[in-house]
Amino acid sequence: MTSTGSRRTFFARLWSDRWIYAFLLPTTLLMGGFTIYPVAASIWFSLLDWNGFERAGEFIGFANYGELMRDPLFWNAFKNTMLFMVLAVPLRVGIALLLAIALNRVFPLVRVFRTAIFLPVVTTAAIIGVVMRYVLDPASGPLNLALLASGLTDRPTNFLGQAGLALYSAVGVWVWKWLGITLIYWLAALQTIPRDALEAAHIDGANAWDRFRYITLPLLTPFTIIITLITVIDATNVFDLMLTLTNGGPFYATEVIDIFVYRQAFAASVPRLGYASAAAIFFGACFIALAVVQLLVISRLRQERAAQ
Amino acid sequence: MTFLDDVAGRAISRRSLIKGAAALGAASALPLPVLAQEVATVTWWDVFQPLIPLHEKMWAEFAAANPGTVAYTGMNPSDMMQALQLANRSNQMPDVFNVPAGIDQVNVLQANGWFAPLSDSFTFDKPFQQEVLAEGFTTFGGKLYSFPLFSFRQTSTSLWYFREGMTAAGLDAETGPQTWEDARSAADAATKDGKYGIILPLQFVDRMAAHLTDLAQSAGAPGAIDWKTGEYAYASQPYIDALNFLLGFQQDGSLHPASSSLDARQGRARWAAGESLMFFDGPWNSGVLNNSFKDVIDGIDAVRVPYPAAAAANSFTYRGPQVGTFFLSAQSANVEMASQVLQQLTSENYYVGLAERMDQPPLDLSAVEKANVHPAYRKMVSGYASYVRLAPDPLIRNPQVAQVYAEMKPVTPGLGEIIQGAFSGAFSDPKPLLQQFADQMTAERARAVEVAKAKGAAVSVDDWKFDAWVPGEDFTADKY
Repeated sequence: MTSTGSRRTFFARLWSDRWIYAFLLPTTLLMGGFTIYPVAASIWFSLLDWNGFERAGEFIGFANYGELMRDPLFWNAFKNTMLFMVLAVPLRVGIALLLAIALNRVFPLVRVFRTAIFLPVVTTAAIIGVVMRYVLDPASGPLNLALLASGLTDRPTNFLGQAGLALYSAVGVWVWKWLGITLIYWLAALQTIPRDALEAAHIDGANAWDRFRYITLPLLTPFTIIITLITVIDATNVFDLMLTLTNGGPFYATEVIDIFVYRQAFAASVPRLGYASAAAIFFGACFIALAVVQLLVISRLRQERAAQ
Repeated sequence: MTFLDDVAGRAISRRSLIKGAAALGAASALPLPVLAQEVATVTWWDVFQPLIPLHEKMWAEFAAANPGTVAYTGMNPSDMMQALQLANRSNQMPDVFNVPAGIDQVNVLQANGWFAPLSDSFTFDKPFQQEVLAEGFTTFGGKLYSFPLFSFRQTSTSLWYFREGMTAAGLDAETGPQTWEDARSAADAATKDGKYGIILPLQFVDRMAAHLTDLAQSAGAPGAIDWKTGEYAYASQPYIDALNFLLGFQQDGSLHPASSSLDARQGRARWAAGESLMFFDGPWNSGVLNNSFKDVIDGIDAVRVPYPAAAAANSFTYRGPQVGTFFLSAQSANVEMASQVLQQLTSENYYVGLAERMDQPPLDLSAVEKANVHPAYRKMVSGYASYVRLAPDPLIRNPQVAQVYAEMKPVTPGLGEIIQGAFSGAFSDPKPLLQQFADQMTAERARAVEVAKAKGAAVSVDDWKFDAWVPGEDFTADKY
């Protein structure tokens, strides 16, 4: 009786909120079609030996995952992705914060500076990749010409052609390209700092560094977590820029997971869709595990702080 | 009053709209010939940029005499296979396409049912045409699927240069740099005032692999396979010497520093713009220059694949039999029409026209003599007879080797990636990587042989061993 009653209640609630569900339906369908289905399909593909020339693959269980664990080029791509993230995220978040503090005041041309920093954000990443290849060209690129003319170097630097330098060059381009969007986040966050708290501290004799250290920074903490999380996710989606900038080279020096997956699935002489899917799924699982650990650590810190 | 009158004259009423929609629906249900004469469109993808004017003229003539047109899409060689994979999975394959890959990949595609045979009306029966037909290359299960447009006597690694710059570098512009030593000294001399000796398309790893194999052959290697032993030869001394020869340009400072970011098309464009003295390329370079860089073509020349001075007497390059150039898609609904279009590519006039486009040399090499071509192209093509030799192929001796090709998975890092790594400073000694590549290829082939045998194929690694192979000689049909 209770069960029937609760079922009635459930359906009655569904019916009473029917318009909410009606409006949610398109999003649910699109998400199912373009997110849930591809993920589920990738999990299935990862269990197949499929060269892409065939209509369907052959089921091989977890053999692709076993091969992945032994593939040094997969671990090279994994390492490159992590290194890219470790280098690029603090740079982008940190530089954007400094710029936001500088540009959060009113002075002549402040809007011009903000616009100039934001402009690369609205430019297509693939185009940025192509253009930066010319900018960084060791023979005729403006950056090398400037370095040579200034006397800082006596021979051209091959920013994208040297295995030891290419990933750092790519980090630099990526940080520059996306700096503007992080700047906007920080500017919005800075607007939430109460002016009266800063003015009171100023009257009490706190200098600019103290005001930043003891008022601005603590109040920005929740924003820092969110902005860092968003930037970390961004740093694992660099396919378009990296493909056009370096194509993962030279000799896999900039091959991040996205490029590894693409190479296995499309660019190999005989593609391996199952293997590529296994790499994508495995990396996705690792990334989810990383996010869960991050959330647990943040939650633990909050609990400890509350206890204090 | 009709629906169209309504549209022209005033706002459409509900009744008129329904009437109009019904009329349109009825019209769309009618077979097309009722409305107009049916014209079939043959879709066509290839990478042969210099041939476009020749083919467009041929297609126009065909369309004038037949109810069929050709819709052409030109592709970059480095993107073609990706485009074909996507097209195949989405049932959007062109009717006609070329496969810019080796014989092994063609057999993988055939094993997966990509191709349709040419229609029975297609003929290819002149003696020089008949002798290039082979199971696994043009024919599958006794049916003709494709045919080669080009002669096997060619290489991708002729050395192209500016005549004036070569003279300034202290070499005879006519003979050019014949040896590796000449090429390095010419490059060194030309490196000044922001210009460099040579550009290499290091980002196009397949092309770099082809260059290295040609150069290793000119230093005495039989090719990727040592035909006497059947073993992979990537770690042999000629390959190492050839790689060191290429690296020498970088050590001398005469390699254009942007080479690491360039593919063949970008490299050619920068060479043609005068940024370097030399550029390795195939015979098609004449055609591309003639189409896109006409102002420089009269100032350029080319020489054969350079060789180390010590190996001059053994300096040959080897090419396997030509695989078919164009294939019909198994998804095609226009096989008969497409076969008729392809038939136009087998006439004497076509071979002369092909030579005049200055792409790869035509299957009928005598057509080059009749054609109006640039002297550099004529010189290069006639030179092939003296140093390009026909290599054996295990597939011709044993067609079941196709099943081994179909089983083999790519090994990475491959030859092209290793070359790229050596130039980028990723490692100081390329020999261990070349050895690793050779070992991995050997292991992968052995695995594929075992899988093919388990499926009933009569194959063994000895299929890659040819006792009758003699350096410097064509491996003709009687030697199998």
